[in-house]
Amino acid sequence: MRYADFGPHDIVLLLNGLGVSLTLFLTTSLVGVVLGALLAVVRYYRVLVARELVTFVTEMLKNSPVLVQLFLVFFGIPALFKIDVTPFEAAFFTLALNTAAFVYVIVVSAVESIDREQIEAGRVFGLTRWQVLRHVIAPQAVAFATGPLTALLVNQLQVTSLISVIGVVDLTKVGDILNMRTLKPFIVWTVVGVLYYLAAKIIALAGGFVERRLTAHSAWKGL
Amino acid sequence: MIRIENLKKAFGKVTVLDGIDLSIEPGEVVSILGSSGSGKSTLIRCINGLERIDAGRITVDDFDVSNPKELAEARKRSGTVFQLFNLYPHLSALRNVTLAPVEVLKRNAAEAEKEGRALLESVGLGDRADAYPAQLSGGQRQRVGICRALAMKPRYLLLDEVTSALDPEMTAEVLEILADLTGRGTTMIFVTHEVAFARSISDRIVFLDQGRLLVDLPCETFFAEDGGMANARVAQFLSKMRKD
Repeated sequence: MRYADFGPHDIVLLLNGLGVSLTLFLTTSLVGVVLGALLAVVRYYRVLVARELVTFVTEMLKNSPVLVQLFLVFFGIPALFKIDVTPFEAAFFTLALNTAAFVYVIVVSAVESIDREQIEAGRVFGLTRWQVLRHVIAPQAVAFATGPLTALLVNQLQVTSLISVIGVVDLTKVGDILNMRTLKPFIVWTVVGVLYYLAAKIIALAGGFVERRLTAHSAWKGL
Repeated sequence: MIRIENLKKAFGKVTVLDGIDLSIEPGEVVSILGSSGSGKSTLIRCINGLERIDAGRITVDDFDVSNPKELAEARKRSGTVFQLFNLYPHLSALRNVTLAPVEVLKRNAAEAEKEGRALLESVGLGDRADAYPAQLSGGQRQRVGICRALAMKPRYLLLDEVTSALDPEMTAEVLEILADLTGRGTTMIFVTHEVAFARSISDRIVFLDQGRLLVDLPCETFFAEDGGMANARVAQFLSKMRKD
């Protein structure tokens, strides 16, 4: 094939790439949010050793570059344990764990933002620690965390572009391929950027919608 | 009955309660007076198990509050109304009232709701049952707080300075409801600064001073010149409150 102009098939390529990016984003976000929230619950129950371990691991994940984590999982771990890891698997594990670490921090601070007095009220009326978590803390913590979580997820969508480096054919990788073929970087990267932007915008709008629903009870604060 | 024996509680090096002995019989209305920092609120928080006691023993109907297994039973028998209401902000007034009956007493939700509405109705909040705490005035919030406690059908009602955060008008509306409750034979332990009100509803007055129980007298005797007033600290406290 000669260096050539864009063809109709390129749209399919781009959409495929976008599909891969979104699939990775959605699955790793789901796993990350669930895992991060579970780790925060471990902290709430003050499980002794687990708490220190969770803090250590999340600190490592938060304070090192995602790209380095990706290289560690894709190149480092297979070399150490003599196992095969596909680019997609490496990307999935890295992003899921990285998201979980940030979700953990958000959920912990959301739980800590709930007034002690309400928790005491729940306890005094005989609710168990679990019932207090479920009926008093969780609904408010979720409302509190939705804003920061949305911001995190928008960011994690952009972070998925790093996985193109280890050979996953995501939207960025497709952009790379098209750029090599057409030698029209300005058009290619503008289109790719706009597609990321649109996806991010949808996440942000959805997050805002959920947040407004969850905080409906405090909408009349001035009364 | 609630029995407190040689109760001691300290926060760090500060001794807050220093050997309190006190018994409260079912049906009694006991007011606990004393200046700020005398340990009144801490006493309530020890009875409902929010503070771990350092020494002594508290039993509610023979259930030991310090024993984690018995605390749940003890808590089912007492209801607490808080100074700052401590309502659940994400739940409507009605849900605030029904949460514990449904979750703890395993009551049928529809029944609990019906009773909750009736309780709110009885304190003049029938039309505000679906409002959230943020939509209610302070006095209304505290009335919801009282309903929340009553919904558990407690034998003992612990009231921790329930009007301290309210202006005089709202204070009046809350006190009116409490006066109504005393008429119905609810046992109440009433930590308060409202001396005149305490005098009008109490069977007994307990006076705390620097973590010690200084005076424990029938209401009339407490306010008599040769009764509680004979104690210098009590006389000083009462004269100060009158000036306010």
